[in-house]
Amino acid sequence: MWQKLISDQKLFKYYQQYIAYVNEKLNCYTFVQLRMSENDSVGELKNIPIAIKDNIAVKGLPLTCGSELLRQFVSPFDATVVEHLKQAGACIVGKTNLDEFGMGSTTTHSIHGATLNPWDLQRTVGGSSGGSAAAVASGTVPLALGSDTGGSVRLPASFCGIYGLKPSYGSFSRYGLVSFASSFDVVGILADNTELLRTAFKILCRPDPYDQSSRSFPEQQKAVSRRVGVIALHNMVSREVELSYQRSCEYMRARNIELVEITPQTMQYVAPVYHIISTAEASANLARFDGIRYGLRAEDEYDTKDMISETRSRGFADEVKMRILLGTYVLRSGLADRYYHNAQKMRKVIQREWKNIFTQVDAFLLPVYPTLAFVPEELEDQVRQKSADIYTAIANLTGMPALAYPVESDMHIPMGVQLMGDLSSEERLIDTVRYLQTEKTIQRAPAFSGVHEWIKNKSSTQ
Amino acid sequence: MIPHIGLEIHIRLQTKSKLFCSCPSLFGQEANRNVCPVCLGYPGTLPVLNSHAVWLGCLVAQSLQCEIAPCVLFERKNYFYPDLPKNYQISQYALPLGKGGHFVTWNQDVVHIREVHLEEDAGKMIHASDKTYCDYNRAGTPLLEIVTQPDLHSAKAVEYMLQEFRRTVQYLNVCDGNMEEGSLRCDVNISVGSQESLGTKVEIKNLNSFRFVRMALQYEIKRQIALLKEDKLVQQETRQWNEHRDRTELMRSKEDVHDYRYFPEPDLTAYPLKNVFLKTVSKALVELPNERAKRFIHQYKLSDSVAWAITEKKEIADFFEQTVQEGADPLKLVSWLEGEVKKVLNKTGSKLSSSPLTPSRMQKLLWLLETSVIQRKIAQRVLSCIISEDKDPSEIIEEYNWERISDIVYIQKLVENVINAHESVVCDFLEGKEKVVDYLLGKVMEESAGRIDPQLAIQSLRDLLNKKKENR
Repeated sequence: MWQKLISDQKLFKYYQQYIAYVNEKLNCYTFVQLRMSENDSVGELKNIPIAIKDNIAVKGLPLTCGSELLRQFVSPFDATVVEHLKQAGACIVGKTNLDEFGMGSTTTHSIHGATLNPWDLQRTVGGSSGGSAAAVASGTVPLALGSDTGGSVRLPASFCGIYGLKPSYGSFSRYGLVSFASSFDVVGILADNTELLRTAFKILCRPDPYDQSSRSFPEQQKAVSRRVGVIALHNMVSREVELSYQRSCEYMRARNIELVEITPQTMQYVAPVYHIISTAEASANLARFDGIRYGLRAEDEYDTKDMISETRSRGFADEVKMRILLGTYVLRSGLADRYYHNAQKMRKVIQREWKNIFTQVDAFLLPVYPTLAFVPEELEDQVRQKSADIYTAIANLTGMPALAYPVESDMHIPMGVQLMGDLSSEERLIDTVRYLQTEKTIQRAPAFSGVHEWIKNKSSTQ
Repeated sequence: MIPHIGLEIHIRLQTKSKLFCSCPSLFGQEANRNVCPVCLGYPGTLPVLNSHAVWLGCLVAQSLQCEIAPCVLFERKNYFYPDLPKNYQISQYALPLGKGGHFVTWNQDVVHIREVHLEEDAGKMIHASDKTYCDYNRAGTPLLEIVTQPDLHSAKAVEYMLQEFRRTVQYLNVCDGNMEEGSLRCDVNISVGSQESLGTKVEIKNLNSFRFVRMALQYEIKRQIALLKEDKLVQQETRQWNEHRDRTELMRSKEDVHDYRYFPEPDLTAYPLKNVFLKTVSKALVELPNERAKRFIHQYKLSDSVAWAITEKKEIADFFEQTVQEGADPLKLVSWLEGEVKKVLNKTGSKLSSSPLTPSRMQKLLWLLETSVIQRKIAQRVLSCIISEDKDPSEIIEEYNWERISDIVYIQKLVENVINAHESVVCDFLEGKEKVVDYLLGKVMEESAGRIDPQLAIQSLRDLLNKKKENR
């Protein structure tokens, strides 16, 4: 079905219309480049339309990262993951909105404006890969790339009712992903079905000579997890989240999966460790945006030093500035031992604990976020929002994979849970989720029921 | 009051490509020609370590007897500067490539090495009228920084040490040692204290020649001693050499010192220095020039200066030893190598190692000269021919008919011809001008194309001239 959209002239027109319609309502794309497929490409993703988060480089397309600093920037090269997708025959339809440089969980901190949740325009789409999540959930593409530094793929996937995979650190190349926190960043996949998710995973999972933090993993065994760890939530999450988490547990039990309650001792350290290390790395990663070689430049400043500081002051929005300041602070001489180096030590402790947990269970079921998709205006204070990352950040701190998947909900908006596993267990996570889910397709929001519905309606009214 | 001086020497490693990308690592190219998204710090790019730079770094560290780290780890050194594309430099901090070790100078002073570490170089800023331009060709080229302990105590000693160090890295073929082009740079740390205490240290930067290093140190030692004599304190600060005013000037005080906020480079994983790799480095280790020169003095009875000169370049020292093994006389050989051979090679712009002059041909040439088969002048021509025609000396001599002429009848005939052709000169002789004999001898040699034995020629010339004198 998807393949025809860009090869059939008539369907292509409808496709264009639908993307324009969705984008007008949801603002999920920052740039659309829809072209009909000219030559018959070959490969496992032949003519499959794909959206790419706007912090991943596609040659010749804008790479704004949602930032004023890169508003005019066009990437001169393809990210390795993009290269792999192109080689597999995929067709890139556009770049998707995000929180500036991936910093945020609402997809509102962007020069392109906020991306809205297809299920409820009042509620947040999640972030930072909110554009990719909305693009998939609204049925403009079946597959999109995002990036996940502390939950940025899984959170919007969960809020939009789709699948979001954060792979093992090092399994996908980071070359061409604009770095936020290098030791946490991974490219992730958002998809509307697990079959395509697995295909994309297999295409992207390979070491890259241009990324020394990438590595090869042994061939993965295909098996369903039989023992899954679960956590006591103790009012740490909202009632709706607790209920759906329990329902997911019951579902597993009903499918003969043994549940083992485990209480990780390091949970309280996850948020501080994540924020100290990620902001420290971000403060250096974002230092290169100085107005000299590319991007925004404060032309009116005469002195080089003033030009650099004015460029950065105009180019970054508040959230990014705050993280740069925090990161600079935790690395300061005299403070680095207390913050940065202690955080690195704690990160090892957390890694050890989770490594140990995965000797007891095959996978671990966790909530994605403590609340349902919230209304941004009703957002609680900054600190509480930042500590809300704990369930997702574990996978980034440990480098382990996690798959967010939608669960049944009584609410009018979807929500997801995530299944986390030991390093290089993505296929097992996918298999387990497939085993759990009887329904083959995801639910779609009534107003955005997908391009295929759109075409059906259009053709019947004509 | 004793000056204590420590050095921070930067050498640019001679690799084909830069430290973290595949751009050529070349000097003197058109601005911003050798750049790519990686060394320009474009968003999304990542560094990939050049293992040859690691190899060269290990070679230097091992030559200095450093303890080599178990793996190569990098840190980010954070500071904003327009010539630094990422606004952090990928350098080493917690675990430098080499630690400890020492360098022994010609005067047998031991300079202890604190550490040897790898890092990327920055670009260059070019100031033109009211504008500043950036050239990033140099950005990302591999540098090795060698930090010494404050073991040197005079400006002269530092100058000598640097010259010897440059010789060493050139000898190891890791760096061309060109200070003007910035292939070798040096910052110095100087304090004036006592035997027991070092005193407050001042760093001097911007020293781009050995002479400036010496002058800056001489100036700074005087300045610090003067302060101390007046019971004033030396401030811990960074100064720079002003070559137009011949003095050091304040660059930044202790308060302005950078906080580099070092932290481990997350984009590069630890590069393990495996035994197999280090073995290839050990295999490339050679006797260093200072040691070799000392040995030459003993073994071949060379003078200090000759030994120093002949060990300047490894290929020449190697050639020397191989030719001696073939049977050449060391002293005679040295004078040829330092004289004629150098001259001919310079003229043709070729290198000894790649020229057709082999140790065995060199030895044969010297032997032919020694045994008077050819004349010295002819020997020089044979040398040129060996290099230009790639033939053995004997072959050349035969081909050009350059063998020495000792046929007395032939010589007498030639001398007669010359005398007959220069009657006026002969008259001068008859009038007592002895000096013209040299002139006539020159003519005779010229006529024979330098082939006649000059001893026989002069004998014959004198005989004939004296005969003329008697007949008068």
